[in-house]
Amino acid sequence: MNFPRELALAAGALPVVVQDDGRPVTEGRALLAEFYCGYTRNLVDQAVTGRLDGYDGLFLADHCISLVGAADVVRSVNPGTPVFFGMLMASMGDASAAQKVTEMMATLRTELQRFTATKINDEALRTAIRAHNRDRALLRSAFDARRSGDAALRPAQLQDLVTTSMVMDPDEHYPLLTEALAEARAVVRDDRVRVHLSGHLCHAPRRELLDLIEDSGALVVDDDLYHGRRHVSTDVAEQGDPIEALAGWYSRRNTAIPCPTRVQRDADWDVWLIDAVHTSGAEAVLHLLPKFCEPHMLYYPELRKGLDAAGIPHLLLETEHEGMPLESFRTRIEALVERARRRRPVLA
Amino acid sequence: MPTTVEDKSNRLDMTRQGGRMIASYWDDLFTAREQGKQIVWYNGGALNPIFQAAGLAWCHGEAFAARLAAQRMEGPAQLAGAEYGYNAELCSYSRTHLGCAVLTVQGSQSGVVGMNDQAELAAKLPAPDFFVNNYAGCSTGQQWDGISYRVFGKELPLFNVSHPFLWGNQPDAGYLRGEEWESASRYVRDQLRDLITWLEERTGRPFDWDLLSESMTYIKRAAELRREGLELCKQKPAPATFWDWIACVAPINFLPGDQALVDYFQGVRDEIKGRIDAGVSGVRNERYRLYFDGIMNWNKLGFLSRKFAEYDAAVLCGRYIHNAFWQEPQLIDPDDPLMGMAQHYLLCPTNHGSKTLDYLTLRDCAEYDVDGIVFHSTRTCRAFTGPQRLLARSAQQTLGIPSAFFEGDVADASFYKDEILESRIVTMLEAIDVRRERAAI
Repeated sequence: MNFPRELALAAGALPVVVQDDGRPVTEGRALLAEFYCGYTRNLVDQAVTGRLDGYDGLFLADHCISLVGAADVVRSVNPGTPVFFGMLMASMGDASAAQKVTEMMATLRTELQRFTATKINDEALRTAIRAHNRDRALLRSAFDARRSGDAALRPAQLQDLVTTSMVMDPDEHYPLLTEALAEARAVVRDDRVRVHLSGHLCHAPRRELLDLIEDSGALVVDDDLYHGRRHVSTDVAEQGDPIEALAGWYSRRNTAIPCPTRVQRDADWDVWLIDAVHTSGAEAVLHLLPKFCEPHMLYYPELRKGLDAAGIPHLLLETEHEGMPLESFRTRIEALVERARRRRPVLA
Repeated sequence: MPTTVEDKSNRLDMTRQGGRMIASYWDDLFTAREQGKQIVWYNGGALNPIFQAAGLAWCHGEAFAARLAAQRMEGPAQLAGAEYGYNAELCSYSRTHLGCAVLTVQGSQSGVVGMNDQAELAAKLPAPDFFVNNYAGCSTGQQWDGISYRVFGKELPLFNVSHPFLWGNQPDAGYLRGEEWESASRYVRDQLRDLITWLEERTGRPFDWDLLSESMTYIKRAAELRREGLELCKQKPAPATFWDWIACVAPINFLPGDQALVDYFQGVRDEIKGRIDAGVSGVRNERYRLYFDGIMNWNKLGFLSRKFAEYDAAVLCGRYIHNAFWQEPQLIDPDDPLMGMAQHYLLCPTNHGSKTLDYLTLRDCAEYDVDGIVFHSTRTCRAFTGPQRLLARSAQQTLGIPSAFFEGDVADASFYKDEILESRIVTMLEAIDVRRERAAI
């Protein structure tokens, strides 16, 4: 999730954030336990059934034990495909953090050079940085517009825009994105209850769930999903040493939208979430917690505590990889909507 | 009419002494505040020698969660954690300990009804003065103390020791070798120096380097004796089993480094040697030798030792015992112990990629001449269970050893399924019998 795609692009490779492809986990079940999150089980399933064969290499930077476990299985199943793990440190407040992250970014550059047999010079890297920044900024403008009151794009549509940016060359994605956003005429928010979607730190929520949320009386006005604002929150500095710039990006990402996979005393997801709710005018928060997502499970009580103290209604939905109980979710979302409506000021 | 199953297990007597040492340790910790000591809560690798040299009282969160589970007292802490919002699928080590933290912070107002006496034990953990996290491998472990920090209102200092994962990216990577190992060792060692400086700031007194050397001298000797004892269990029949070594985890993991620790493991080693001389085995009528992979099912220690013995199966070795807890004492230089300590923390059994785990598992299976592997599919421990299916496949393909998986958990007994364990043990042992018959033809 935090792998610096700019490095791969600068090496002439196409950096693809491997997606949960949504297919049921079948043969992969034999190699990774059922109580791993759906995304990691799907990754393993993709590897076992040959659906990852189109990739020349797999690069990992994140230290979530479930991701590492899945990558280890992928490495074992596909011995001919390089799987490189350049772990970016998770304890962001350490005195050595900045230096270690910079060192790892340099290591990733070296490894990508070896992998692609291409030297990544600083100019190529700066070009890649600018390309990604441009695409990110345009995507971010769509999220900012939604937060400010423009309801033109439904959550599934915004998710599509982000997902496509994750799998495409940014220079190819940008003109298409420009065209898509130009076609979307501004729409004033209607009377539905405004909600913030929070969670899903690695893979996209199912489209049918996003549609269901908005069909249940809620209007999504902001989010911190990985396939949402979280992915586009932070740009890389375009001046100075590009490796240091990438290290700075990694650090600033966690203050832009704190991630529970990181330990940082002065970056509080709960505080950020409450601020985001106030900024967007959201009336409630929907936590989307993928079943077995350890980082989210570990941090969730702090979110609950903060939102309760702030008087913000919220609802936790544990999402599944297969067989989500959508009608049960509908009932619960409608109850949240009803609760939020009752809190609205009564006009004389 | 229920039938009584004969207990064929023969546990070491010495472990009872260990139990008394552990109880005394926790009693002492519970009065640390009254003794005027500062208290550190920590998780992950055994930092206790450093805390000992810093004059602190130390509380290993996982150890306390394990103790509660072993005593079947984990309920109130887990309930308090659940009330606070921790999901039942979350690592039960962290969930139990964080439940203790919640009880400590909230006093007796947890809302748990009818369990005041039990809750008192769980709440007895004295509040910390600061936190130290030293977790290699598992990301949940690394985040754990950061969450404890938040449960306590973000008011207490926290120090994190970061551990690179030993993935094995480079061709020269291997167990205890390669540039990845060397650079990670140096990095963690340097952080231990920073930790000591930080502790000096917290305590307001100089760190006692001599006491650290002394403590590590004792720990090294205890670890050597432990390894000697483990080696002796390669005998046929085995004089002691995996369950005896599980009972020895607490002493080697967090008791003070002193003569008493050495005496304990001397006693363990000598009792094992005595059993060999007297022809006494850890399981009456040992017919099968097994490897146990997975973190311990703490709620079920006695039960599991009897269960396997019931089927004449001696569980001899396992990742949690053989690849953890000062398992490479030759790395420790008591005069300059930080590097050896750093390396042991990196050697946490969840901090290796599957290539290294494959090497360690197959090595131990061969050296102990095991017939099969039992995998504890620990429901809430993704760190331990991740590579298990790869290891099972490798053991079958490389050594022809069958495997069986059973479902359980480290500290939450509700995930344990006895019927599954029963049927799978029986099935695996039958498969071993068939292999033996065919080999004899």
